Amino acid sequence: MEDHIQRLIQEKIVRETQAKTRRHFIKSCAQGMGGLALSSIFMGCDPLAKPMAKKTVAFSERDLNPLATLAPPFAPKVKSVIYLHMAGAPSQLEMFDYKPQLQKYHGQDCPQSLLEGKKFAFIKGTPKLMGPQAEFKQEGQSGNWVSNFMPHFKKVVDEVAFLKAVHTDQFNHGPAQLFMHTGSARLGRPSIGAWATYGLGSPNQNLPGFVVLTSGGNTPDAGKSVWGSGFLPSVYQGVQCRSKGDPVLYIEDPDGMTRDLKKSTIDAINKINKEEYAKYADPEILARINQYEMAYRMQIAVPEVMNINNEPENIKQMYGVEPGKESFANNCLLARKLVEDGVRFVQLFDWGWDTHGNIREGSIDLGLRNKCGEIDRPIAALILDLKQRGLLDETLIVWGGEFGRTPMQENRGNKKMAYKGRDHHGDAFTMWMAGGGIKKGVSHGKTDDIGFSGIEGQVSVHDIHATILHLLGFDHEQFTYEFQGRHFRLTDVEGELIKEILA
Amino acid sequence: MKRKIYIGICIGMALMAIALLWNSFKPNEKVDFSTQIKPILNNRCITCHGGVKKNGGFSLLFEKEAFAATESGKPAIIPGDASGSEFIKRLKEEDPELRMPYEKPKLSDEEIDLLTRWIDQGAEWGQHWAYSLPEKVDVPTLTNEAGFTFEESSDFLQNNIDNFILTRLESEQVEPNPAAEKNIIARRLALDLTGLPPSTELLKAFESGALSYEALTDTLLAQKSYGEKWATWWLDLARYADSKGYEKDMGRSIWKYRDWVIDAFNRDLPYDQFTLEQLAGDLLANPSTDQLIATAFHRNTMNNDEGGTDDEEYRVATVIDRVNTTFEVWQSTTIGCVQCHGHPYDPFKHEEYYKLMAFFNNTRDEDTPSEGPVLKFYTPEQQKDVDKVLNWITENGTIKQHKTYKDFMQFTEPVYKSHIFQEITNGSYDDHASVVLWDDGNCILKNGYTNNSGYVYLNYRSHYDGTRMTIREGDANGPILGQFTINKAKNNTTSQFPIKKIDRKTNLYIETQNNAAAKEANIINIYWIAFLEDMPGQDKPGWSAVNKTFLKTLNTNMAVTVPILAENPSYMQRATQVFDRGSWLSQTDTVQPSTPESLSKWNTEWPKDRLGFSKWIVDKENPLTARTLVNRIWHQIYGRGLVPTIEDIGSQSDAPSHPALLDWLSLRLMNEHNWSMKALIKEIVLSGTYRQSSKSTPEMYQRDPNNELYARGPRVRLGAEAIRDQALAVSGLLSDKMYGPGVMPPQPDGVWQTVYNGAQWEESKGEDRYRRGVYTYLKRTSPYPSFLTFDAGSREVCTIRRIVTNTPLQALVTLNDPVYLEASYTLAKNTKVADDVDESIAQSYKRATYTDISPNKLEALKALYEESLSEFRENEEANVLFLHFDDKPTPELSALTVVANAIMNLDEFLTKA
Repeated sequence: MEDHIQRLIQEKIVRETQAKTRRHFIKSCAQGMGGLALSSIFMGCDPLAKPMAKKTVAFSERDLNPLATLAPPFAPKVKSVIYLHMAGAPSQLEMFDYKPQLQKYHGQDCPQSLLEGKKFAFIKGTPKLMGPQAEFKQEGQSGNWVSNFMPHFKKVVDEVAFLKAVHTDQFNHGPAQLFMHTGSARLGRPSIGAWATYGLGSPNQNLPGFVVLTSGGNTPDAGKSVWGSGFLPSVYQGVQCRSKGDPVLYIEDPDGMTRDLKKSTIDAINKINKEEYAKYADPEILARINQYEMAYRMQIAVPEVMNINNEPENIKQMYGVEPGKESFANNCLLARKLVEDGVRFVQLFDWGWDTHGNIREGSIDLGLRNKCGEIDRPIAALILDLKQRGLLDETLIVWGGEFGRTPMQENRGNKKMAYKGRDHHGDAFTMWMAGGGIKKGVSHGKTDDIGFSGIEGQVSVHDIHATILHLLGFDHEQFTYEFQGRHFRLTDVEGELIKEILA
Repeated sequence: MKRKIYIGICIGMALMAIALLWNSFKPNEKVDFSTQIKPILNNRCITCHGGVKKNGGFSLLFEKEAFAATESGKPAIIPGDASGSEFIKRLKEEDPELRMPYEKPKLSDEEIDLLTRWIDQGAEWGQHWAYSLPEKVDVPTLTNEAGFTFEESSDFLQNNIDNFILTRLESEQVEPNPAAEKNIIARRLALDLTGLPPSTELLKAFESGALSYEALTDTLLAQKSYGEKWATWWLDLARYADSKGYEKDMGRSIWKYRDWVIDAFNRDLPYDQFTLEQLAGDLLANPSTDQLIATAFHRNTMNNDEGGTDDEEYRVATVIDRVNTTFEVWQSTTIGCVQCHGHPYDPFKHEEYYKLMAFFNNTRDEDTPSEGPVLKFYTPEQQKDVDKVLNWITENGTIKQHKTYKDFMQFTEPVYKSHIFQEITNGSYDDHASVVLWDDGNCILKNGYTNNSGYVYLNYRSHYDGTRMTIREGDANGPILGQFTINKAKNNTTSQFPIKKIDRKTNLYIETQNNAAAKEANIINIYWIAFLEDMPGQDKPGWSAVNKTFLKTLNTNMAVTVPILAENPSYMQRATQVFDRGSWLSQTDTVQPSTPESLSKWNTEWPKDRLGFSKWIVDKENPLTARTLVNRIWHQIYGRGLVPTIEDIGSQSDAPSHPALLDWLSLRLMNEHNWSMKALIKEIVLSGTYRQSSKSTPEMYQRDPNNELYARGPRVRLGAEAIRDQALAVSGLLSDKMYGPGVMPPQPDGVWQTVYNGAQWEESKGEDRYRRGVYTYLKRTSPYPSFLTFDAGSREVCTIRRIVTNTPLQALVTLNDPVYLEASYTLAKNTKVADDVDESIAQSYKRATYTDISPNKLEALKALYEESLSEFRENEEANVLFLHFDDKPTPELSALTVVANAIMNLDEFLTKA
């Protein structure tokens, strides 16, 4: 572990030195305009500087390549993040937050004191409390609780740090997802992945720095804005890689065109662009030359990394992948491949967790159990696979939804519902983190007897963001972008490190 | 000779610099607050002593606060006595615990000296330059002695703009570029004015001298494509999209607004009128249909249809967005900060935000899925019915009644939407904008006003015959106002039922009975309920027929609608309250509409509503409106604003590169051009500054990377729409069809995916595949992918600047998107010269770039051609696949297509140079 940190610090120093010398190199290159070493990994400008710098004397490497890697201001604990979001909001009460007392109160009216001044999405009047619909056991060395909906999870329970009392102030999917990923319930802010890619660039220049994979048949309720770049340049937005059709839009050459011919096309374009540069001296032309080279390489690298067929059979089984289909298992395996290849931020969205009890798939007992079945094995596999490759120490895994679910049974429209379900609930829910810089096998935060509110170790969405940024090497209060006369932060004016789960 | 003058200038400049330096240190020289003091306060002090934090009880945001007693009980600044002022003492303090700025580097001696002298001179508080406008700006005169004598000077000085630019160039000793070549400037001009390259005929006429540059400009400004190009810019500000946004992101019919914007640009609607109609067209006397459509500007806000969301929360979000957008669009001011606290840098107070909000807080729209009020468009046949009703009222009633009925037939307001019904028993609010009642169901409309009407209007869907509805005053035991039977109605129906007249606000209790329905079965969905002043002439023959016609119009189904603004009648007025720390759930003091104190004055003749507010915006005393427009139009053309922070003209903005020019153009826009945007644009493009070549050298980019001095012409990558439009235009595919619903050109399968929304991307047929980008359907959660890649936004909120990026994904679009391959193929086919490969390539290149091909470039493309040709000759199958557009694909045409595609990927093609 010590070695690992030393390595990261060493890398930071080397890169900073490189950045300085590299800048001179580019400068002289631009002045003399010889051939540019386009395959180099450029180092670039300081993202903490004003975006509209008044007097940049020379253009920086970031002008040529906006994804050029940058060293974070502090020694990072991890290089990459894999964020697993269960869109629709999973029920903490059937997965990780065991509430035996709630079983005792099953079927009783929810106390008025809890309902006063509260707003729910669908619950009306006085709902009834509903006991856990799953069975719980203490697992692993840590003895943390895991339900029988997640049988494989016990294998990795000692790797994760639970956050049992997360809270959010949003209780509708769209705004809550936006809040969870951009720090604001309204549109227009950059997502965590965009911040990370903007701040750090991406080590693999042949792949997008921020990749999004979706499963469950739908994109998240809040749409593509949850991986948007907000006011940051659009190059930092997440690139959705698809399991059907082109993995990245327009990545495939047109039918009938060979790779060689594409190479020649790009060579001809760049040759002419170089002539244009001699005339106009506009550094944008140099950047474009660079981008075309990168596009060509990306066309090879993306389909390669997105192809899971070549993985060994035991790995495929470990995750439970179904090649050719869109599945969470496939996406977990892809996430491992992507971080292995140096992608900075991988965001997985799995849709279908909104267990209101209005339909069978959305029931808390049957539907939720199925959904858990879809993620249980792949998540355990992802953690173990990263671990066996020595990657878990430099990767952060975050798991959660946009909020949690009520201890009360939903009574939509004042009627008895067809199935058992729980309404949206933001006061207290469970998330977990695992990987580099995270304590293993701990549980932080507590909810009350029925799981309605946090009573100890409550953490906010901003706290989670502050912690993720910290692990990547940023102080969330210093990491800002100036836009419309204001320095914006991912954590707005809030956020505190969750020190209790930091190793 | 030239050299001598340069040396002369150098010596002169040096002397001036010495004089300036001396002046600035001369102790008696008056210190200027706005230019010398405010920047120091903003950069070094205000983060801790400003609008958000007032550490030690000391704030430097407002004059009053700066001189008020701090926590110590004494004021920190004592005018006239710097040495006695704690403010200065703390700056000089040696103890790091006491020295300010706390834990930050010490201020420089010069800064401390300036602040000291400012206080000694009386600490006069001044206004930031952005908040006042001079009465007159003189055009700088250029004397022969001072001016450059370079050969092109006569070329450069084309109009007064150039005097301003040259004055700065002189002072920086930089020489402007010569004028761009004719073909280059013609392409630049056409792209800037119309978003398309010029037609061959126009270029020929200009190149031959038959058409002057000015005549070319006028011709381009008169083209319909001018409106399409500039509308694209405005629609970013207006956050125009074809869907509602948020989770479900259902489609929205609002394209008539987009067409209104295009027309407004084309008829050069003066900016003041353009503003009034969009912000308050509904409040103008007898608004025309067009003026009502214009108000859709503020109906482009998002509408949240997600189940379980609180309509009031999202209505409030909408109103906040309108306030913020209005200030961002018209005033270059981020007022959004003030929502939660006093502005951190600009002189706005917390409650001032809510006073502004009060102007916008009284419109009828309430975040319902129907998006009401929506303006209806009757067919000429249907319009006859509408006219029949209105004629009857003209004959028999008052002007007020005429307006009531006209409004109701046009956009169905004012109505009480059912989401405000309360205490629903045996029923529920079904989350799709209706209250559902069962047998024995009831609910209450609190504080409703029946307008002394003899009828209630009810919009509903009914699932059973014979439902008995009773409306009582007060509660279940109150007196019956009306009782009637409702029969089955599958579609939304508006019916009229008689009620007892009462003329007061009261609670209306609504109940339903139907024994035929099962327990808990939905018998009726109620969408809204309304009370109109009775139609006049009830005692005259013909009334019943007219009333029937009226009801018929209310039940006419509309193919096209557009959401608009409509103001609340007096009995529906909302009070506006301050939100404590920006939270809509904790509302405090009630406020009245007014504009911020620190901005221009309010004329008491203006009504205190949106119309008066719009008049305040376009008042000539408001310095921000004209400056904002000038700055942004300049930015559209040069890729950089005169104030580089085009989002912000205020105390945090960058200083203008040419302050006098900005003011001169602003005054001229208002006083001489009478707010004509075409005149402003024309003036800018006629300047010698604009007409310069954009060629440069690495040294010059070093010296002036952002072209702040304008010693070269603009060189900017084209916008997302323009890149596609241009490819279609040069290949000959572009359709010039205007207006109408958004079109869906080909995009990859599976891009559209939204929960609870079955809408599909249905690929357009025929010429609709080749329309300009401004007509492409824009779904907020999933915009047209190639536009997104080229930095177009999703228009969820107001976009002032599209940040221009340069990424590999862009290369993939122009290389691999079938749209560009089809365009390449068509370009190759249309420029192919039989048996002459060189000429074919040269033609293709010229058609795309408007330039003759150089031997080197021809050589590069020829080599590509040869390689393609041999590949496609060898592989017949690949040839057929590649050229699937063509019935008889030949390897030659395939090879030319590859070449044309390379041309469409050249920097010079993607860039306006």
